[in-house]
Amino acid sequence: MNCEVCQLKELEVEHFEIREVLRCILHTIVFHRALGLVRPKDVDLELFEITYVQCGDVELEKKIDEKIDHFISWVEKHPNKKSQICLSFYEVKSKQPSWFTNKTERLYWEQWYINLNVTQHPKHHSSKSHHTKLVVDPGESATEERSSRRAMVEASLREVLFQIIKFVNEKKDHVPPISEGVIYFPYEITIPSSSDSAFGMDMIKRMLHSGHPTMLS
Amino acid sequence: MTSTHTNSHTEAAKMEQVITEFFYKSLLIILESRSSYVSSRNYSGEQIVSSPSSSSSSSSSVRPRDKWFNLALRECPSALENLDLCPQSNFEPVVVDVILEQKPLDWGPASFSPTSDIVRNLSSKNKNSYFWNSDQDESGSEMKCEKIIERWFVHHESRKGRDFNSGNRRSSCNNLSALYKKLILMLRSLYVTVRLLPAYNIFRDLNSSGLIRSFKLVPRVSSFVEPLTRKEEVDMQRFWFTPVDTSCGRLCLSVLYYSSISDMSSESSTPMSPQFIPDYVGSPLADPLRRFPSLPVSHGSPSSLPFSRRHSWSYDHYKASPPLVSFSPSPTHSESNALVSNPSSRGLPPMSLPPHPPEAPLAHKRDTNFDEQNLPPSPPLKITRAGTSRTDNIRVPAETDATIEKIFSFGKEDCWKYSGVKAFSNSSPRISCSRSSSRSLQDDFDYSEFPCPFDVEDGEMMDPGSRPESYVRRGNPSDPNEAGLFMNRKSPDAAVGALVRMLEKAPPLRQNVSLNFSEASRPEILSNSVPKQSQISEAVTVEHAAAPNIASFRLVASKTTTDALEELRGYKVMKNLLLSEGGKAYTSSNVASAAEHSSTSKGT
Repeated sequence: MNCEVCQLKELEVEHFEIREVLRCILHTIVFHRALGLVRPKDVDLELFEITYVQCGDVELEKKIDEKIDHFISWVEKHPNKKSQICLSFYEVKSKQPSWFTNKTERLYWEQWYINLNVTQHPKHHSSKSHHTKLVVDPGESATEERSSRRAMVEASLREVLFQIIKFVNEKKDHVPPISEGVIYFPYEITIPSSSDSAFGMDMIKRMLHSGHPTMLS
Repeated sequence: MTSTHTNSHTEAAKMEQVITEFFYKSLLIILESRSSYVSSRNYSGEQIVSSPSSSSSSSSSVRPRDKWFNLALRECPSALENLDLCPQSNFEPVVVDVILEQKPLDWGPASFSPTSDIVRNLSSKNKNSYFWNSDQDESGSEMKCEKIIERWFVHHESRKGRDFNSGNRRSSCNNLSALYKKLILMLRSLYVTVRLLPAYNIFRDLNSSGLIRSFKLVPRVSSFVEPLTRKEEVDMQRFWFTPVDTSCGRLCLSVLYYSSISDMSSESSTPMSPQFIPDYVGSPLADPLRRFPSLPVSHGSPSSLPFSRRHSWSYDHYKASPPLVSFSPSPTHSESNALVSNPSSRGLPPMSLPPHPPEAPLAHKRDTNFDEQNLPPSPPLKITRAGTSRTDNIRVPAETDATIEKIFSFGKEDCWKYSGVKAFSNSSPRISCSRSSSRSLQDDFDYSEFPCPFDVEDGEMMDPGSRPESYVRRGNPSDPNEAGLFMNRKSPDAAVGALVRMLEKAPPLRQNVSLNFSEASRPEILSNSVPKQSQISEAVTVEHAAAPNIASFRLVASKTTTDALEELRGYKVMKNLLLSEGGKAYTSSNVASAAEHSSTSKGT
């Protein structure tokens, strides 16, 4: 089974927009892969005029929020850097244990790469006090610029969501069959580590687990 | 063989059931996100617990039909439950039009609770054709504006020549499970897509805000629809969901939508937008003769007299008039603004002016009257009142004293005008009113040049007690030529005729004052004809008839000297106006003929 990879369009977001944007994208993808019995939950974004859908699982929501917190911490330590979050779906296969591999292996059948470019406003700093100063920044031009920028981010986010929908519609054959009682497929969210080398080690680990090289498009 | 045949029938039946349920689920997803008050969005109930151990308990709270495609939606619209989606060998396409409906202006609160009823078009050859509509739409909202902002297509394309019975049971089963999985994925993406389209924002606002809106979303489900216009198809965008192959064809799902709904809602609201009605009944535009001039702001009560007088009856006439009528963008609006904007004019009575007793201390209530009586904020209100028919104009004098006092209770400087008017007769205010009502716009709008036959010069007004005498001196009976000259110089004949008519029909303001004057003069007035020469002569006759009553007038005039002075000033303005206009029209030959006529009558 091939591992289908989807590279989502890069989004240029500000620090305070990261949480909402990531929640929206991650939950939308997971909802498409939660093929068990769900009662969907509509969530309105506060920063944008977009409503996304959660599958309604509390545990899933917690895990996603935790990962987002880790990512935000990483962004604060590595400002003005392009980053990538990988959401992978896999199957667990039992395997003959050996020296280098575990008893079970993960067969990744789908990977989503969320590309973010976290920018910071020239007057914008990570601390709250400076953020407050930005809020009271006077001038109509600043307000207009902010609103136009917000509209651009919203349009880009909408594009990304439609990109997810199109990908889900176009590629269906690689999705494994639905297991009884399982709400959503096993997944894994990978965020950049403190160093790039560590991030590369994560990729190697994945390769060892999956047993086949990760296809990067 | 028989078992194979039975199995294939079973598989075919299952396939049909899956397809039918897909139709139902897709319609449910679309309708619940486009139909107000029916939405899983409002659902705040329990969520499905993810752990498999509790799956049984969670599934018990899910209705059987919710389990289809593992998508439990909150509530099924009752209309959709009655939907006849029987499994058929030929699945007819289903089209869902999401209509942005603009509500009519007279739409009341009762219409805010939409009730959805399905009206089955049994006469249609397609028994699945039905129409989702609201009661309010059927109750005659002929003026509602509709716009299709979305059109969803759900249909099954049959593939001819494909033998469903081919293949073994195992492959059929695999096909069915694969189909089911793909349909789950398709419906998941449909669920997300309906919330990303612009129409969802409208739906969300309608449901969540609770505010009264002038529009609503009405989904309409049918099998046959009129094709969209070329322009609509060009303007709308289409989104295709990847079709899912079935054993006998493929299931297709697509949507046409507008990428921007704000333009649509503004377009749909165009016919319903409030409009100014410039030519309402009674407006100056409707009848130019009723237009009112822009009175000079520097002159107080006399220039305002016509308006005042006019407003006395127009106030009663328009007491219940709707506010909309007042906002007429007529040309007189700006002109009257000139009058109203000047506080010194104070001539226009406020709409809500309460009646005052005759002996009210009007002299000290000038300013407070305006404060207390809620002056209308917009001048057009006054224009409205002014633009009534001449019949009303004549009807004015028939009002009670209280009504008249309403008009003239402006305060100190106006009360003299009031009493002075009454003292003189019922003629002067009526004269001015009728004159302005009968004259054309060009003639009437300059009261500074509108001489009043009773007006006197400023110098002569210093002694208000001598006012009638000065008037008499002015229109000196001993000098009929001069009087005739004066009369000849005034406005055209129409004004005089109107004056006469007013005098004929106007009852006295006060019995004690008007009795001696108006009743005496009325017979002469009534007996006179209209032609201009005779009018002038009769006006002179009125003067003569008024002479014996001057003494009684003096008694009244002496009471409020200051008011008399004010009134005389006003009369002066009217006089000047009459003189300026009359002097242009009449030549000396007319004057001579009038003088000859008067001398002849004197001799007889």
